[in-house]
Amino acid sequence: MDTVALLLTLRLALVTTVILLLIAVPLAYWLAFSGSRARVFVQAVCALPIVLPPTVLGFYLLVALGPRTAFGRGLTHLLGHPLAFSFAGLVVGSVIYSLPFAVQPLTTGFAAVDRGMLDAATTLGSGRWDRMRRVVLPLSRGSLLTASVLSFAHTVGEFGVVLMIGGNLPGATRTLSIALYDQVQDFQYAQANRTALFLLAVCLVALMLLYGLRPESRPRSGDLV
Amino acid sequence: MPLAGYFCARIWVPQVSILRPGIFRSLKPLLALCALLLLLPAMPLPAQTKTLRIAAAADLQPVLPSLIHNFEKSSGAKVEVSYASSATLATQILNGAPYDIFFAANLAFPQKIVAANLAEESAPITYARGSLVLWTRHGLFHHGLTMQSLTSPIVHRIAVANPVHAPYGAAAMAAIQSLGLKAALQPKLVFAENIAQAAQFGQSGNADCALISKTLAITKTMQQAGRFVAVPVGAYPPILQGAVVMRNAPGKQAALDFLKYLQSPAGRNLLATSGLMPPTQ
Repeated sequence: MDTVALLLTLRLALVTTVILLLIAVPLAYWLAFSGSRARVFVQAVCALPIVLPPTVLGFYLLVALGPRTAFGRGLTHLLGHPLAFSFAGLVVGSVIYSLPFAVQPLTTGFAAVDRGMLDAATTLGSGRWDRMRRVVLPLSRGSLLTASVLSFAHTVGEFGVVLMIGGNLPGATRTLSIALYDQVQDFQYAQANRTALFLLAVCLVALMLLYGLRPESRPRSGDLV
Repeated sequence: MPLAGYFCARIWVPQVSILRPGIFRSLKPLLALCALLLLLPAMPLPAQTKTLRIAAAADLQPVLPSLIHNFEKSSGAKVEVSYASSATLATQILNGAPYDIFFAANLAFPQKIVAANLAEESAPITYARGSLVLWTRHGLFHHGLTMQSLTSPIVHRIAVANPVHAPYGAAAMAAIQSLGLKAALQPKLVFAENIAQAAQFGQSGNADCALISKTLAITKTMQQAGRFVAVPVGAYPPILQGAVVMRNAPGKQAALDFLKYLQSPAGRNLLATSGLMPPTQ
């Protein structure tokens, strides 16, 4: 198997997951507890990558953020290279593409926290940040795990966006899914089979870990499964 | 995407209270519409004249539409085309894709179809010879443009088609190699899935230069965004483009007719104005 592609894929998934958690935790907290009218809109925007084809994202990343627009030129200047054909570009694409897989389990988890506990914490003099750190997050451990595993696995499974903006560069943008595509195109079915089986096994193990490690033994309403 | 389905079903839907009493009444028109949509494909399609299904290499994307337009008018057949890299299409056909005719950008991929005993012919029919060009966007080079210009530090990214799937990509790599530019250009190369995507990388400004087919370079979009010069013909092996008709295809007769039209003087003329030369010249 293509070990360079394997390492790149794991690195991309890891970086994406870390960034996603940093973005998704505050976002999900706001979605779960805010009474703002904008909530429905933000919720819908966060869920868009589930329903939109990856080609929509690939198109905008390539054209709108490319050197033909002022914004894209500024970005190119800042990075020293266009977003396309770079690891940074794939990270941006993956973060957007996997956003719902981090935000949705977290929102559900946060919303399921017993309001009575939050009220109790408030009466004990705990502020918003303190409540988040000492009540909400510990009670949402399962959701944090779900969000991390799904973000990671979904990024490993990314293909369309990478095909559109990657440029197939070994070590930078040739992920396992692209390597597998190349192997199929090249009629190397034995190699393709090894890569595909590996991906299948990794994703299966990740999901089994997810379900096995969950603190609750039985599925709960509002859970992923 | 099955996971995504789970999300919709298990997480969001309960939040919009689908179980609220009376919700099903208001859903009735929607359910009726769904039922209608499900029934649609079961209805017979309007009496169809013969359909010709073409699988065509991506360099033919700007070439075939005018040929197809003429062919449809004269024959009354309806033509559907799928464009992709030659390797993608060959893989699909070998795995049972229902095309009537396959136009590749080289002879090796249609040869695979012949070898698999799926072709009407005993060898691919060479229908055209392609040219490789060097395209660059306006404003990058003010003076002469040659393959050696690519070594200039103002060129950061050069788009080529993946040499494994796309014959024009293989030709581009052969030209780079034979001109002794491989070491200098290797770090600048980005690989597109097919030749049309290589052109798109250039047109969108993400790559400074692209090694593409003449058929794509002379399109209006590419001419507006940049200019091109021919890559010296001796620098790469001739790009002979082959076609095969599928032996068991329902549209076999239409496919043979279309191939005949392509090789007629009128067809050859249209190919020439689109950037494809006759095979022997």
